[in-house]
Amino acid sequence: MKQQSRLGTIPGISYVQKTARNRGWPYVVAWLHRITGLMLVLYVFLHILTLSGLSDPVGFEQKMQWFQKLIPLFFDWFLAIPVIFHSLNGGRLILYELFGNRLDQPVLRGVMVGSGLYLLMLAVIMIMGDQSVSPFLFWVYFFLASILCGYLVTLRLKRSGATLLWKMQRVSGTFLFLMVPAHMLFMHLDPVIGRDAQLILTRLQSPFIKLVDLLLVVSVLYHGGYGVIGVCRDYLSFRGAQLALLVLITTLFFGFGLIGVKLLFLV
Amino acid sequence: MITTYQITLKIHRYDPALQKHWTQEYQVEAGRIMRFVDVLRKINDEQDPTLAWGSSCEHGQCGTCSMKINGKPLLSCELLVENAVDFFNTTTFEIEPLEVAPRIRDLIIDTEKAYERVDRVKPYVIDPAPADHDDVEENQISPEDLERYVDATRCINCFCCSSACISSHRTFLGPNAMLAAVVRVMDPREREKQQRLDVLYNENGVYRCHSSKACSFVCPKEIDVAHFIALAKEGL
Ligand code: HEM
Ligand code: SF4
Ligand code: SF4
Repeated sequence: MKQQSRLGTIPGISYVQKTARNRGWPYVVAWLHRITGLMLVLYVFLHILTLSGLSDPVGFEQKMQWFQKLIPLFFDWFLAIPVIFHSLNGGRLILYELFGNRLDQPVLRGVMVGSGLYLLMLAVIMIMGDQSVSPFLFWVYFFLASILCGYLVTLRLKRSGATLLWKMQRVSGTFLFLMVPAHMLFMHLDPVIGRDAQLILTRLQSPFIKLVDLLLVVSVLYHGGYGVIGVCRDYLSFRGAQLALLVLITTLFFGFGLIGVKLLFLV
Repeated sequence: MITTYQITLKIHRYDPALQKHWTQEYQVEAGRIMRFVDVLRKINDEQDPTLAWGSSCEHGQCGTCSMKINGKPLLSCELLVENAVDFFNTTTFEIEPLEVAPRIRDLIIDTEKAYERVDRVKPYVIDPAPADHDDVEENQISPEDLERYVDATRCINCFCCSSACISSHRTFLGPNAMLAAVVRVMDPREREKQQRLDVLYNENGVYRCHSSKACSFVCPKEIDVAHFIALAKEGL
C-alpha cells in the first residue's frame, strides 16, 4: 500500500488532493478561478466605494490613513494573489477555448509560476517604494497592449456562434488580462500614488487617463457582472428566479458603474 | 502476492417505500481481480439480496453500472479490487449512485430522466444527406472527416462526465449531451445543423461549461470531452 503523505493528513489539503485525484487538477483550478472571480467582484465594489470619497479630498486622505493603520501593507500584497491568478488563468482559458491550445498542462504550470513571479516582483517594488514613473508612458504601453489583446480575441471570435454578450465577456477579460495586474503594479510603485487625493485628482485631469480608467471600470463591471450571472445560472433552474437575479445583478453592477463614471468626470 | 483483500463497502442506500436513506456497511473477502460488480453480486448472494444496483453488459460498453466510488464517478465493471486499493490507498470504499437523476432505489437512478437531457439534442441524424455515389446506398464519410470526431462516437452515455462536471446538474444539459450535439454538427451525413447549433448555444448549453475538464478526466472511454465543447465555443 502507498504511504500516506504527511500533507494529506491536514483536512483542507486532503480534501483538495482527493478532489484532484477524482476529477483532475484543472477542475480544482476551475473552482479557484470561480472563487477568485467572486472575490475580485467584492474587491472592485469596495475599491469604487472608497474612491468615490475623492469628492471630499480631505476626508478621503483621512480615510486612507485610517485604512493604512488598520490594514497592514502586506494585506495589500495578499490581495494581489487572486488578481494575478485569475488574470493569468483567464488568459489560459482563452487560449484553450478560443485559440485551440491543447498543451494545457504546461500553460497551467506557467500560470502558477507566472503568478509567483508577479507576486515576488510586487513585493520587491512595495519594499523599495518611491519609484517614480510617468503615468502617461506607463499607461500608453499597457493600454495599447491590452487593446491589441482584445482585438486579437475579437478577430478570433468571428467564427464562434456564441452570443454577443458571451463574446464581450471574453473580450473584456482579455482587455483586463494586462490592465488589472498593471493597475495593481502602478498603485504600488510609489505609496503616495494611490493615497494622495490631490495627486489622483491631477492625474485624472488628463483625458487619456480618463479614457483608460473609463474602459477599465466598464470592462471590469461587465466582465464581473456577466461572470456572477453565469455562476448563478449554473444553479438556478426556475425562470422566475433567473429573471429576478438578472435584474438584481444588472442593477447592482450598473449602479457601481455609475458611481465609477461619475467619479471620473467629477474632475 | 496478495490474492484476497478484506474490504469494507459503505453503501448509500435508499428505500422508496419507507422514504429512508441510510449507509450500510458490508465486510467482504474479495479476490484481487474481482471487479466491483462481482463484489456487489457477492453481497447479494451471501449477505443481502435486497441491495439494488444495476449492470448490463459488464464489459464497459453500456454505461449502466456507473456509480461513485470514494467520490470518483466510474464504471464498476471496469474497476478491479486490487486497482481500487492501489488507486484510493485504502480498503474501505464508499459507494454512491451518480447524482445526475433522481434515485429509484439504492444505487439505481432514473436513467430515463438522465437521458431526457441527451434526447434534447436529438442524438441521431435528423436530415441525412443523399448518397454521394450512384453505386452505393449510404453516404460515405471520408477518413479525414471521421478522424476529427471519431473519438466522440465512443460515448456510451454512462453520465460519469455529467456527475463530475463543475456546473451543477440543475441547468446544464451535460457534457455528454454537448458531445452528442457536436458530433452531429461535424458529421457530414447530417444536413440539419441549425437545430444543433440552437441547442449548443442555448442558455443550458456550452455557456454552462467552464472548461474544468473533469469530464475528460473521468471519462471511462477516454474521450477528451472538454476538447469538443471548446471546439463548439471556438466555432465549428
Ligand atoms: C479584475 C477584474 C475581474 C473580475 C472582477 C472578474 C470576475 C469574474 C467572475 C465573477 C467570473 C465567473 C467565474 C465562473 O464562471 O466560474 C469570471 C470568469 C472569467 N474570467 Fe474574470 N474577472 C476579472 C478579470 C479577469 C481577467 C483579467 C481575465 C483574463 C483574461 C479574466 C478571464 C475570465 C474568464 C475567461 C472567465 C470565464 C470562466 C468561466 O467560464 O468559468 N477575468 N471572472
Ligand atoms: S463522454 Fe465519456 S463519461 Fe461522458 S457519458 Fe460518454 S462515455 Fe460516459
Ligand atoms: S469541461 Fe465543461 S463540461 Fe467538462 S466537466 Fe468541466 S465544466 Fe463540465
